[in-house]
Amino acid sequence: MDFWLQIVANGLLLGGVYALSAVAFSLEWGVLNIVNLAHGSFIMLGAYLTWMLFTSPLRVDPLLSAPVDFALLGGLGFLMQRLLLNRVMRGQFFLTLLLTFGIDQVLVNTGILLWTADPRAVTPAYSSRSLALGALTIPYTRLAVLAVAVGITVALASFMRHTRLGRAINATGMDLDAASLMGVRLPVVFALTMGLGCGLAGLAGAFYSLNFPFSPQIGGDLTLRAFVVTCLGGLGNMYGPLLGGLALGMVESVASVVVGSGAVDATAFVILVLILALRPQGLGGRAVA
Amino acid sequence: MSLLEIRDLEAGYGAVQVLWRVALRVDPGEIVTVIGNNGAGKTTTMLAVTGLVPPWRGEIAFDGRTVHGLEPPDIAGLGLALVPQGRRLFGAMSVEENLLMGAYLRRDRGVEATLRRVYEILPRLRERRRQLAGTLSGGEQQMCAIGRALMARPKLLCVDELSFGLAPRVTDEMLDVLVVIRAEGTSVLLVEQDVELALAVADRGYVMEGGRVVLAGTAAELYDDPGVRTAYLGL
Ligand SMILES: Nc1ncnc2c1ncn2[C@@H]1O[C@H](COP(=O)(O)OP(=O)(O)O)[C@@H](O)[C@H]1O
Ligand SMILES: [Mg+2]
Repeated sequence: MDFWLQIVANGLLLGGVYALSAVAFSLEWGVLNIVNLAHGSFIMLGAYLTWMLFTSPLRVDPLLSAPVDFALLGGLGFLMQRLLLNRVMRGQFFLTLLLTFGIDQVLVNTGILLWTADPRAVTPAYSSRSLALGALTIPYTRLAVLAVAVGITVALASFMRHTRLGRAINATGMDLDAASLMGVRLPVVFALTMGLGCGLAGLAGAFYSLNFPFSPQIGGDLTLRAFVVTCLGGLGNMYGPLLGGLALGMVESVASVVVGSGAVDATAFVILVLILALRPQGLGGRAVA
Repeated sequence: MSLLEIRDLEAGYGAVQVLWRVALRVDPGEIVTVIGNNGAGKTTTMLAVTGLVPPWRGEIAFDGRTVHGLEPPDIAGLGLALVPQGRRLFGAMSVEENLLMGAYLRRDRGVEATLRRVYEILPRLRERRRQLAGTLSGGEQQMCAIGRALMARPKLLCVDELSFGLAPRVTDEMLDVLVVIRAEGTSVLLVEQDVELALAVADRGYVMEGGRVVLAGTAAELYDDPGVRTAYLGL
């Protein structure tokens, strides 16, 4: 019993990691109709920024560098959209896919040049401590990720509903022409949305670095996971990434025990296919036209 | 001076020309209707005026300024709002969020007051204000689209296909709304399939055929025109 409780707890905590890294990906896809293949590499950049600040003479704590990551990578994402992606927004879906794939390659290779391919880790004193809850062991850094994932999700949902910019972003995702008739300047909102997304990816990177070792090549896997989580949770629901992330984390955690760690990925994808066959709009997706 | 003045407007899609030397005007305080069969170019004219379809040639002046070649947000900012064909509501947003989007460009403190006024004119929207716009009935969606456009406090309201898919009773209600907002100082450019109803509320009208304006006159003149009577009124 305790054993399974721990497996469930692990699943939720892992789900927090997946949810946090998928929030931005899902926002970009939902609003801009861009499947951002460079998404995982923005998380990677966030992790390296955190690492550089942590290993600098200042020894900046990752929790403090998270906002810095948000700001810097947000700025980079804003420029990427403004200067490159905005040129092809009304073009074919394939073009943005190709462009973000190219950007991803540039980021990965720049990462290898700057930091080599050796794995790094960010290990403040608290990174090895855990909360003991009865028989459960809960690492603080994992708990922090889950809390931040929930916090960001709620904050983002509220931002989208209750602020002028949030509503403009939301409207842009639903109908470009109608949003533009309301007075929304699409190129600006596109860039701000991508900036917000890449900023959140950078922030996710700070928390990623606290939990896992990383190299410049981690991005591809993170992007793939974010894709799965977004499909699972459903596009167009602000709580979709959280739902999808927790679902994927849980499936992987249980699968690692039941079928062994070697087949976790395969099992997760089989379950994804099953869920989508039953609910094509995802767990939280609306079937509204 | 006219509020909206279109001269020699030509526009189209891709390489296909759809509008040919279209001329029309709306004076302050007027309700002007554009009549024409499907494909006559009514929607394209409205889209060119609001900036969604770039004009090829000709002049569009609004409120004394040329708006030719401006982007839709700039034109909206001058006080021109469109209720587009098909409504184009933000379906996964609540009714109230849709209305607030209509006031997106406003920076004044009167937005709350306008919201209350829109709820007075269209009380059904107040009842439905937390409901997702995509789940409204056809009539309610049109109310929401009109309310959203009114939130900008436009000088000119363009309405494309007011009665499309509406029950006759709801159509009457919507036409009454147009008369009310005209009394409050907003001019109206109305595209409407039901020519009889359109001429009943309009001051003047234009008839479009094949992308050209073929006839213009007061509502009474158009109503008595033999061509209009056979082609559009079925009399
Ligand atoms: N998006 C479009 N692309 C190409 N042709 C179009 C498009 N929209 C309308 N048209 C064509 O332009 C002409 C005028 O259409 P429209 O302005 O919608 O007329 P109306 O509103 O009077 O029915 C029609 O022949 C129509 O087929
Ligand atoms: Mg039309």
